[in-house]
Amino acid sequence: MSSTTESLNALLASLGQAFDKIPGSAVLVRYVKSSHQNDPGRTVLEVILIIFAIFTLLQSRTRGNDGRHFIKFEDKEIDELVDEWTPEPLAAPLNAFEASDLAAVPIIVGHNGPKPTLARQPTKMIANLASYNFTGLAGKEVIKERAIETLRKYGLGSCGPPGFYGTLDVHMTLERDIADFLGTEAAIIYSQGFSTISSVIPAFCKRGDIIVADRGVNFTIQKGIQISRSTVRWYDHNDLKSLEDVLDSVEKERKKRRGPLTRRFIITEGIFEKDGAMIDLPKLIELKYRKKYRLILDESISFGTVGRTGRGLTELYNVPATKVDILIGSMANGLCAAGGFCAGSQHVIDHQQINGPSFVYSASMPALLAVSASEGIDILRSSPSILTKLQQNIRVARTILDELDCISVPSHPASPIIHLHIRKPTPTLLHPSSAVSAGHSLKPSNPTSVLPREAVNWDWDTDAEERALQQVVEEALRRGVMITRAKRLRGQEMVEARPSIKLALTSELSTDEVKKAVKVVAQALKDVLRK
Amino acid sequence: MSLFSKRTATSPVTSYLSAFSKNDPHAVDDESSTPASSLSSSTTSDSEDTVIYDDDIDNADGLALPPRPPNSSEVFSTVHTEFGHCSNPKYRYLSQHTSGTSIPGHDDQNPEPPYYVLLSTYISYLLLICLGHIRDFVGKRMRPAAYRHLMPSDGYAPLNSDFDSFYTRRLKTRMDECFGQPVTGVAGRTIQILDRISPDFNHNQILTGSRTRALNISSYNYLGFAQAHGGCADAVETCIREHGVSTCGSRLEGGSSNLHVLAEALVAKFMGMEDALISSMGFATNSTFIPALVGKGCLVISDELNHASIRFGVRLSGAQVRMFKHNDMDALEALLREVISQGQPKTHRPWRKILVIVEGLYSMEGTLVNLPAIIELKKKYKFYIWVDEAHSIGALGPHGRGVTDYFNIPPRSVDILMGTFTKSFGSAGGYLAGNKDLIDSLRIRGHSGAYAEAMTPPVLTQVVASMASIMGIATPTMTRFDSSSTLQPSEAYHHPGPAPMSTLPTWLCLPPHLADGSEGTSRLRRIAFNSRYLHQGLIKLGFITYGHPASPIVPLLIFNPGKMNMFHRLMKDRQTPIVVVVVAYPATPLVSGRVRFCVSAAHTKEDIDTILRACDEIGDVLDIRHGVRPRWTIDQVCARALDLVQLS
Ligand SMILES: Cc1ncc(COP(=O)(O)O)c(C=O)c1O
Repeated sequence: MSSTTESLNALLASLGQAFDKIPGSAVLVRYVKSSHQNDPGRTVLEVILIIFAIFTLLQSRTRGNDGRHFIKFEDKEIDELVDEWTPEPLAAPLNAFEASDLAAVPIIVGHNGPKPTLARQPTKMIANLASYNFTGLAGKEVIKERAIETLRKYGLGSCGPPGFYGTLDVHMTLERDIADFLGTEAAIIYSQGFSTISSVIPAFCKRGDIIVADRGVNFTIQKGIQISRSTVRWYDHNDLKSLEDVLDSVEKERKKRRGPLTRRFIITEGIFEKDGAMIDLPKLIELKYRKKYRLILDESISFGTVGRTGRGLTELYNVPATKVDILIGSMANGLCAAGGFCAGSQHVIDHQQINGPSFVYSASMPALLAVSASEGIDILRSSPSILTKLQQNIRVARTILDELDCISVPSHPASPIIHLHIRKPTPTLLHPSSAVSAGHSLKPSNPTSVLPREAVNWDWDTDAEERALQQVVEEALRRGVMITRAKRLRGQEMVEARPSIKLALTSELSTDEVKKAVKVVAQALKDVLRK
Repeated sequence: MSLFSKRTATSPVTSYLSAFSKNDPHAVDDESSTPASSLSSSTTSDSEDTVIYDDDIDNADGLALPPRPPNSSEVFSTVHTEFGHCSNPKYRYLSQHTSGTSIPGHDDQNPEPPYYVLLSTYISYLLLICLGHIRDFVGKRMRPAAYRHLMPSDGYAPLNSDFDSFYTRRLKTRMDECFGQPVTGVAGRTIQILDRISPDFNHNQILTGSRTRALNISSYNYLGFAQAHGGCADAVETCIREHGVSTCGSRLEGGSSNLHVLAEALVAKFMGMEDALISSMGFATNSTFIPALVGKGCLVISDELNHASIRFGVRLSGAQVRMFKHNDMDALEALLREVISQGQPKTHRPWRKILVIVEGLYSMEGTLVNLPAIIELKKKYKFYIWVDEAHSIGALGPHGRGVTDYFNIPPRSVDILMGTFTKSFGSAGGYLAGNKDLIDSLRIRGHSGAYAEAMTPPVLTQVVASMASIMGIATPTMTRFDSSSTLQPSEAYHHPGPAPMSTLPTWLCLPPHLADGSEGTSRLRRIAFNSRYLHQGLIKLGFITYGHPASPIVPLLIFNPGKMNMFHRLMKDRQTPIVVVVVAYPATPLVSGRVRFCVSAAHTKEDIDTILRACDEIGDVLDIRHGVRPRWTIDQVCARALDLVQLS
């Protein structure tokens, strides 16, 4: 003990000597002494300042290896280790199925629409049930005219992020248009629909916050949750009872640990991208108010496709959009333009202007796409008949599909995307949503795991089903109907979704055309799956 | 030889300008120094300008018209406010690394400011922080209503606690007039800002309804392709008519069009790689494709100043990350030796793979990556390289192919070239280029392929048209030559060569000066000249700048937070308004707040003169000249621009 103090003293003494040798040090000492005499507060201030300076200096250094596991090597040994090390290839080559899948992606020549021309097209195209052109905005001449006008005034790219001269008046107009359309206080636009929610979630949910999310949320929500580093609890897919149980258990846990009040969020989708199921929004809102949670609702599929004029679930269920704290939608899906938006209160929006990573660090959307989206909203607002037409087409398709016994349809009857699963001959509880009815008899799933309890019973053969469904897709195309499998990132998703075919309906086809096209799909399904 | 001369006047813009040059009485005698006001009076009456400009030409700010009207041999095909007229062949430079010269790291080249500057900067921040806390302390007691959203209330934790938002509320708000400035029109050589005022200390910004045209040294418009007129915009218009504005879906589901296929082939050619893919957002190109390459058991070594999108992607990937000191190759090597010898933490198992991610040109520092050294290291340490060329593609290199071109390194010695189209190409989105297997696997396994919307046709067309004008288009005779020799067209391509016709949509018709690549070449030479001129000019005027002299990003150090606001305002309120980007903590280290100039090929030498003059005057007012001596006067700098550019 004493030896350390001694050496410390010696060190200080030598430091002092060294200090005295520095020219001008005497002046500094006098300065400090006199300033301390005149104003002791100033010394404190300066000390804080120095600590602050050192702190920031240290902060900028990169993190070293933690000492405990560090092995010391000689230079020669390191060279040997370096020589020995052989890395894996950067990317594993595609397997045969992936390669054929990539080769089979339909390439559209020219304009996309209800009956596009394909690069390799066996027969005359009857209908396109693969592209997201729900309300037919892709083909509207007014939109094109407005886009060209905008091009002539703004050029194409904005060449800057929103913070640095990338905010155009047309962006502000679009934000206003969206907020007015939905009836929220404000809105903010992102330049890609897919990146929107994965940026919104980490803007609000931080480490220590609580997220309660549906087990069936889409990939980008999963990524947003992952990057937020918040504590996650999962509830059974589209099951409000399970949600309530999880909320209760979270509260119990907090009471037990006497934890501080943290931000709590429920994250779910309006219409699920994974299977087309639809949530019961009024009940969900009642629940979130009762439990004092904030709701982050992804309406990327439902915005522009349900409700009288396409305002989404809030319009369908007639609840004010202001009751959803953070509402996300996609202009790329719903308005055939590009980008995504987040609508909410002014606070929610202002916060993202500095904290939404893909808002702050990315160039703003090209002006002509923003104007196209504004124009799209105008069209939806003024012609409710489009939505009626779309819903009618969905009904027509559903009538045909629901009768098939080789498939099951997990999607909600009003959903513009219709997922088709292969139905197993033996009626077991395969899909998470179909487990709802029988769920009460089972013990509830573990909220900390994204996998539901019945996951052990999932016995479908993913590869075989993908292959069969791809055959259906190709068969349908041979007969003139363009459809697609729902493409997944196998191996990267939190829960492997059941393979499905995803039909996207559009208002641009007549009822008869839809009937004809869906019959073709049904026939292809029968032909392939019965084999 | 003037690159613009002897070209047929086709567009209305050109004919207007040539007509203007004949009619203008000042054409000859006002050559040297035209008083802006006299010029404006002679031209505002011109009726044809409505074709080009929304507003009447009012040249009081000296922006709408060139200082010297063109003479009869000069024909310009661009609108001066979008892309400045400059036909002087001397104001050109070749962007190329002189082999043998060292590539500066970061610290060894940046001069330090005097201590009083550092001290006063720290004190400024300290004051701001203390004041902020005092205001919060008092405010919470005196006006609780104004703080309610920061406090827990009614069983809800605040969405944004007072602590988390302290920086935003107490520091950034004071500088808000520098951020988020709404603009309108083309982000070209000039830009129109929507004037705004704040009645309540920046809590609300109110648009006054008026606009001001300002010289734009802030947009990432490196090659000046942000244009509402000209060959590229015409191509985009045709495309909207042919393809509409959206392809409606993701690439793997229902949103792939033949335009994507063509554009990807063209991008691959441009980069000199086997294959390329395109994604609809630059940020997402990093954030959604990095996780497809690395994961658990892999290591990412990342420069400490890498862009947020890279960090986002790396965090999503689940790979381990280590950072090295910015552009410091010794630090990188030391780190490589450590991580390879130690293996994975705790288990010491060897890493599955190591990916080094660097940027070509760093957007806040202007530093150029030391790519030759990294390639050397790669030979020994067997890591993979991902270079984010967001800012360097198009802006650097004799052929505009980015850092590999600048250093004359074969592009294929890098595993993945990533870049964005938002900058040099005046478009949006990003690309990845690499070998075919790699790109194919990313098409399937990257998040964007399955889920993100595909790039829209107009955006694709802007990419194709601007890229083809940088490359020049292979003429039919060349194509015939190719096919007569027994080689496949793809094999016959030598990088960097012209764009093969087969990679362009059949309806694309570029005007001759774009199609033959002459305009593209001149743009590359102009940005190289402008960058060096501004950089060296500022140094000679006694400012501290960062970065490589070839970099079109020129950061000028201001240090004190209070001065940044003032610098921004003084620049904006000049007779010729100039809009600048100021960046402060936390985007930069605490003490090195700076203004960042982004030079463009659209600027003329006179524009750079204007900026240098403005800096010269403001530099004295704000006391920010702490750089090297001896210094030159501003007139010396402007007069000896050509010498300056050769200096570096
Ligand atoms: C290095 C780097 N990478 C990626 C991006 C993102 O590109 P984008 O603006 O096209 O989304 C940027 C943009 O600022 C960047 O500087």
